Amino acid sequence: MKDLTYIDLKECILSDNDGIADQIRELSVKKRFFLWNIMSSPGAGKTTFIIEIISRLKDQFRFGVIEGDVESTVDSLKMQNLGIPTVQLRTGGGCHLDAAMVMKALESLPLDELDIVIVENIGNLVCPAEFDLGADLPSMILSVPEGDDKAIKYPLMFSVCKALIVSKTDSLGIFDFDFEALRINTGKLNDSLQIFPLSAKSGEGMEEFCSWLKQEIESKKYQ
Amino acid sequence: MHELPIIKSIYKSVITKAEGAGAKKVKRVVIEVGILRDFIPELVQKYWDFISPGSIAEGSVIELRELDASAACGRCGKEYAITKENIGNPQCPVCGYRRGRLISGSELRLVGIEIEKQEKK
Ligand SMILES: Nc1nc2c(ncn2[C@@H]2O[C@H](COP(=O)(O)OP(=O)(O)O)[C@@H](O)[C@H]2O)c(=O)[nH]1
Ligand SMILES: [Mg+2]
Ligand SMILES: [Zn+2]
Repeated sequence: MKDLTYIDLKECILSDNDGIADQIRELSVKKRFFLWNIMSSPGAGKTTFIIEIISRLKDQFRFGVIEGDVESTVDSLKMQNLGIPTVQLRTGGGCHLDAAMVMKALESLPLDELDIVIVENIGNLVCPAEFDLGADLPSMILSVPEGDDKAIKYPLMFSVCKALIVSKTDSLGIFDFDFEALRINTGKLNDSLQIFPLSAKSGEGMEEFCSWLKQEIESKKYQ
Repeated sequence: MHELPIIKSIYKSVITKAEGAGAKKVKRVVIEVGILRDFIPELVQKYWDFISPGSIAEGSVIELRELDASAACGRCGKEYAITKENIGNPQCPVCGYRRGRLISGSELRLVGIEIEKQEKK
């Protein structure tokens, strides 16, 4: 007689990841740095934006970068040229970063000397949203050429983010983009999402974003 | 494709649990997945069949139970279900407001496994 047994488990599959994400949160409080996770589809402008942010704020904050974007040693070279401590994660063609990878990268950064650690996530709108990295600021870049209807297609991504950067606004003359429609769609499941239209190329909207970012960082420090 | 890394974690967990319970074979794996994960049931079984050969889970059936999401109304705070039907246009059933905040919908749980134990002597 074959003996069939059903075993009740109720086990959370990503609990390992979420546990490490919590450890990252603790570490960031203890070591006093602000962790910023930047997600987007490939080519939305993450690297360009990060470089622009760093060049604008490097006299006020000490930055470190965790570079997760696939095949982008090019990107980490750009960061290193700015004199920014950078860790390039080898993800072997993976589609997202998980908390364990970020924890490992954090361990090799001089955290005592940093105020902000930026994570450039892998270009993908699905998987990165599924893995909590313990970031203070989970954020997403949506570029104008991608269109305003993305929020309907990727509800999880838009729900986990605190800030949405709408990049490449210098191309608004070429591409239709309805900001009102975007606000309506993102507000359905995340009515506190902050939306920042900007262009890293022309500089439009960058200052507004930087002052908001500074407030976010200060509010963490004085908690 | 985004199901694959998660299926791999489920696989690891299943094998550990099944072996720990003295299984000779895994027959059925039950998982609960929130609709926001956007898992495609047919793909889940395909990935499972791709990963499991050669193990005690080879040939097992993966049963996917989809869980609705939930949101809280941005005006009155009422919590209500977000289903595949209303996700594009959710609306508070009490006050009719159309903005809110997501509360759940990305669950990912291994609910149980059905195993075949060593034949009794
Ligand atoms: N027009 C315009 N192009 C941009 C802007 N930001 C980035 N790009 C271009 O978009 C392409 C992808 O940018 P990159 O920063 O590498 O994107 P990533 O893959 O998200 O890191 C590059 O050709 C950039 O020059 C912008 O604000 N305006
Ligand atoms: Mg990049
Ligand atoms: Zn309401």
